[in-house]
Amino acid sequence: MALPKRIIKETERLMNEPVPGISAVPHEDNLRYFDVTIDGPSQSPYEGGLFKLELFLPDDYPMTPPKIRFLTKIYHPNIDRLGRICLDVLKSNWSPALQIRTILLSIQALLGAPNPDDPLANDVAQKWKEDQNAAIETARQWTQEHAKP
Amino acid sequence: MDDPHPGERPRKKPRFWVEKNEEPVVESVHPAVTPLHVNVSPSPSPPPPNNEAPTDEQPKVEDSELHADSITDGFDTGLLQAVVGELAPSVLQILQRRSNNDVQRAINLYLDGSWQSAPPSVTPSTSTSLPFQTRLTNGLKRQDTEMSSISTPDSEASSTPMAPILKAMPSKRYIGSFGAVAWATRSGRGLLQHAEKVGIERSKMKEYPTKKRAVNNKKQDVVVRFTNAKGEEVGRLENGFAAWISVLIDQKLCSFEGSCVYVPDRLKTGETVYLQLQCFFVRSAFDKRKFVKPDSNRAISPFEELESRDEKDLRLRQVAMVKLFEAINLSPSRNNESTEKHKRQGLLQAAESAESKEQKEKTKAITSTLPGSSPPSEENEEGEELEQDQLDSLYKKAQSFDFNTPTLEPASTFSMDLRKYQKQALHWMVGKERDEAAENRELSMHPLWEEYVWPTQDADNNPVPTVDEQTMFYVNPYSGELSLEFPRQEQNCLGGILADEMGLGKTIEMLSLIHTHRNSVQEKDSTVKRLPRLSKSSATVEQAPYTTLVVAPMSLLAQWASEAEKASKDGTLKILLYYGAEKSANLQKLCCEANGANAPNVVITSYGTILSEFNQVAAMDGNRGSHGGLFSLEYFRIILDEAHYIKNRQSKTAKACYELSATHRWVLTGTPIVNRLEDLFSLVRFLKVEPWSNFSFWRTFITVPFESKDFLRALDVVQTVLEPLVLRRTKDMKTPSGEALVPLPPRTIEIDKIQLSQDEREVYDYIYMRAKRVFAQNAEAGTLMKSYTTIFAQILRLRQSCCHPVLTRKKDIVAEEEDAAEASDLANGLADDMDLQSLIERFQSDGEQDANSFGAHVLKQIQDESNSECPICSEEPMLDQAVTGCWHSACKECLLNYINHQRDRNILPLCFNCRNPINARDIFEVVRHDHLLEEDSLQNSIESSSQTPRISLRRIGLAGSAKTQALLGHLKAERREDRATKSVVFSQFTSFLDLIEPALTRDHIPFVRFDGSMSQKQRAIVLQEFNESSQPYVLLLSLRAGGVGLNLTCAQRVFMMDPWWSFAVEAQAIDRVHRMGQTKKVKVVRFVVEGSIEEKMLKIQDRKKFIASSLGMMSDEEKKLQRIEDIKELLS
Repeated sequence: MALPKRIIKETERLMNEPVPGISAVPHEDNLRYFDVTIDGPSQSPYEGGLFKLELFLPDDYPMTPPKIRFLTKIYHPNIDRLGRICLDVLKSNWSPALQIRTILLSIQALLGAPNPDDPLANDVAQKWKEDQNAAIETARQWTQEHAKP
Repeated sequence: MDDPHPGERPRKKPRFWVEKNEEPVVESVHPAVTPLHVNVSPSPSPPPPNNEAPTDEQPKVEDSELHADSITDGFDTGLLQAVVGELAPSVLQILQRRSNNDVQRAINLYLDGSWQSAPPSVTPSTSTSLPFQTRLTNGLKRQDTEMSSISTPDSEASSTPMAPILKAMPSKRYIGSFGAVAWATRSGRGLLQHAEKVGIERSKMKEYPTKKRAVNNKKQDVVVRFTNAKGEEVGRLENGFAAWISVLIDQKLCSFEGSCVYVPDRLKTGETVYLQLQCFFVRSAFDKRKFVKPDSNRAISPFEELESRDEKDLRLRQVAMVKLFEAINLSPSRNNESTEKHKRQGLLQAAESAESKEQKEKTKAITSTLPGSSPPSEENEEGEELEQDQLDSLYKKAQSFDFNTPTLEPASTFSMDLRKYQKQALHWMVGKERDEAAENRELSMHPLWEEYVWPTQDADNNPVPTVDEQTMFYVNPYSGELSLEFPRQEQNCLGGILADEMGLGKTIEMLSLIHTHRNSVQEKDSTVKRLPRLSKSSATVEQAPYTTLVVAPMSLLAQWASEAEKASKDGTLKILLYYGAEKSANLQKLCCEANGANAPNVVITSYGTILSEFNQVAAMDGNRGSHGGLFSLEYFRIILDEAHYIKNRQSKTAKACYELSATHRWVLTGTPIVNRLEDLFSLVRFLKVEPWSNFSFWRTFITVPFESKDFLRALDVVQTVLEPLVLRRTKDMKTPSGEALVPLPPRTIEIDKIQLSQDEREVYDYIYMRAKRVFAQNAEAGTLMKSYTTIFAQILRLRQSCCHPVLTRKKDIVAEEEDAAEASDLANGLADDMDLQSLIERFQSDGEQDANSFGAHVLKQIQDESNSECPICSEEPMLDQAVTGCWHSACKECLLNYINHQRDRNILPLCFNCRNPINARDIFEVVRHDHLLEEDSLQNSIESSSQTPRISLRRIGLAGSAKTQALLGHLKAERREDRATKSVVFSQFTSFLDLIEPALTRDHIPFVRFDGSMSQKQRAIVLQEFNESSQPYVLLLSLRAGGVGLNLTCAQRVFMMDPWWSFAVEAQAIDRVHRMGQTKKVKVVRFVVEGSIEEKMLKIQDRKKFIASSLGMMSDEEKKLQRIEDIKELLS
């Protein structure tokens, strides 16, 4: 199946006008599969970390959202052990007008503003609510351990 | 017979033959008739030709009675004669012998004429309208031949040596005799004696010069009177005879003498009189019209009648001559075999049809003189129009081109490259011009003429004076001319008709001829020698042996000049444009032989110039030379371009062109026959091709058979005319190796698979199930063949529903529904077709409210966004921009896909932008009117240029069916690519075209329409507009009306809206665009609805099952069976 024009355009744009702190590179053998890295946002426990993600565009993209998962271990109430992300725009609030770029920006924003009220990793969320400083410290440690560039 | 002619004999019962037994007249007739012929046999002395010896009467009667008595053994001659009338003894003998003494059989033999099959048979009379008279004349003749065969032994010795031999043609010369029937106009005793010499004269000879009246009268005066020896009028000839005898006398061809064969003792008015007439050709008949060349005829009458008076006279004369030769039983001793076949019959037929037509014209003329109706114009043409298929078959016959004909390289001064077929044309043309064979041809008789031997004896075997060295005379039955000289065949035509189809390069071919076959100034002596008989038809006409005259329509003059320039190496061809202000003072001086070195090689002029100079020359009493213009020269060659300009032989232009003189004459035309066979005649007339340039001949063999629906014969003859004259190649011709004459640009065919909308699919499925059910029921009941029509109608429905659901429903219901929907939308403030400008205005006018100003802002945004990227597919600009109810834009298809996608998953579709709920009903298409031509906006010049392009919003789904939308999409896309592209849209359903029309109108796509319901004239107008307009027109064409013949090479796109059973038919339609003359790539799009009957039809097409049936090789029944098989597959 030929690659839709939209995907080609998005890819080109990601290459030519990269978003600061974010990179997405398609696999040569599968142009719908992207290796993604996101810099941890400053003034967050993830600062200084480089997080790897994988991104896959399903056949009916952009009717359905891309599938995205963290590969780098991360301590975050909205990201589970398997790297799955809880983000509305990746689910019910997806719109075909959204793009890879916007989604990755949303994820970067999510790192800066964890939302323990809508958790995916329940244990992390619990911790975050009980002792936010300890949780942030753990997150920082995880970043040091797992997300060193 | 029931002719209301005033001069007609009063109607009376022909007692004479019917009531034989009661009527004493019968008894007296036969003794009188019989001896007349019997008395010839002994021929005691050579009596003066028409003096029957009455004294012989008695003995002969006895003689015959004697015979009758003597033959008694079982053969009742009395009974025989009582039934069939008195018979000569020799006839009785024959009858008795042949019937084996069976009287009944003898009667039959006699009456059916088979008794005399052994002796030279007499031509049966064609006139069936005069049964009893005919029988009489035949009877007389029969006896004639009988008698003479018996009598020859003793007459031979005595009569022949006595004939005088004259040195020259006498004032009149005997040609033959025949029996004629007349009737008395007076009564009385002793007015006329048996065997009395009678005079034959026309009643009102004086009135002949004012014949114009006669022409205008419905019936011509044909009364021929006969007088007794004292010169008193006794009666008139029967009309059957008078009709043609009067013409022969009036036109001073013949004179007649007669003698009375039978007359009752007491003559009563209206009673029958039998005459023996002798016919003489008058001396003047031979010299008066001797070889009058038609081209010397300079008569220009502005108000030419349909059949001119000359033509009418000629027609009467032709008929009269044929009738005369028939009556005197004289047949030609030599004539042209090719014309022999239907000659006389044809002539008579031609004359009859002209007569009936004349009457029709009369009634027409009467109606047209009514106030308010326009007078018949000069352009009135005769002849029936040819149907397209007739024209096709005609051309097919005329264009059997042999691809192996030799080629000829053009002269070195010609600077262009010729294609092979053009070199073949050159070879052919040079061959035609150098037709040396014509010069050496042995003396052969002119094909129109017939040779006759002067009779040496009269009907009574009496010698008639003969003329020294004049044993023959010649008759041209077509012109009615007579001649004593041998009519030599002349080869006049050293040219022809170059009828290659448009685009094959006729002009170039002709220019190559101009270069290749020309007289160089040095060899002028030989030139003069070669053209001796063409010299000096008028002493003042100069030879122009180096000049070719090109006559073309005004609009083509410049093109001719530039092409001629381009095709010639520098300085090898002197070209002169001769028209209007550029006319040189004296063309004659310039082009004449003496000025050879400086004479222009090509003079290019217009038909208009020809006509105006023709009028000038005519005003100078035809003095060509002193005018010094076009008509003062005899050119080496004349070329008429677009020669159908002279297709009407009555037009002044045509007549003017006939008057131009030249050695070689050529006509160029892509359509030698525009719509009448007469069109071709005018060309042939210009070319002076004998015998066809004789209109009478043409009428006889071509027009008349054609009009009497004898198409095969007419076309056959036309082919013989055309074959040696015409070179015609068409663009569709293929070389033996299958290549086109001129290679065509490539053609692509793509199939656009259409997705039906939900609603359409429901309609389709419903009809599909119904069709399937009907088929299954019938298949079960075994009534498939019977219900064939019903099933076929269902299939048709199905195919229509693929095009547009509306096609399958009753129109009035649909209209109502649409009205209702429209009304409710208007109530909601959302008209179906909102004009964006007016919407914006509305919002701006009450701009205080925030919501509204936001709306206005967004609507402006829509306009601005239309060139930006689609948020869904990233297409830039959007394909068919559409907006949601919340005014967010995307491609129409993306938007619909998205809504469907969400709906399929039972998710409420939200706007991709603002996440408001949206639905498919509230999607509006943004219709931009920027695919319109610049010209349009230029017309509304200043105001529109400053404005933003007009945009309107239209609710989706109203653009029509999926197919119409797809079509519009293609059309708009192609307009964006290339504004000038023209497209042709084929559908087999004219009602579908009806639905496409409003969709095109709404999107401001200009279109024209062509279908079978239009008249020939309307079609021509439509095609001309489509061809010539610079607008990117769409032509809506019904497959059936436009599948064949048309040339639509000005278009580059073809859209096939629906598949036909056989692809061959579609391919033919596509070839209207993709054919010779097409210079650009052709793209064909076939619309096929996915998952429908149409896809299955394509499969059937692939198997080519329908080719046989479409070619008519199957019977109707077979076709039905075949179709049912296919329907089974379609519904599977």
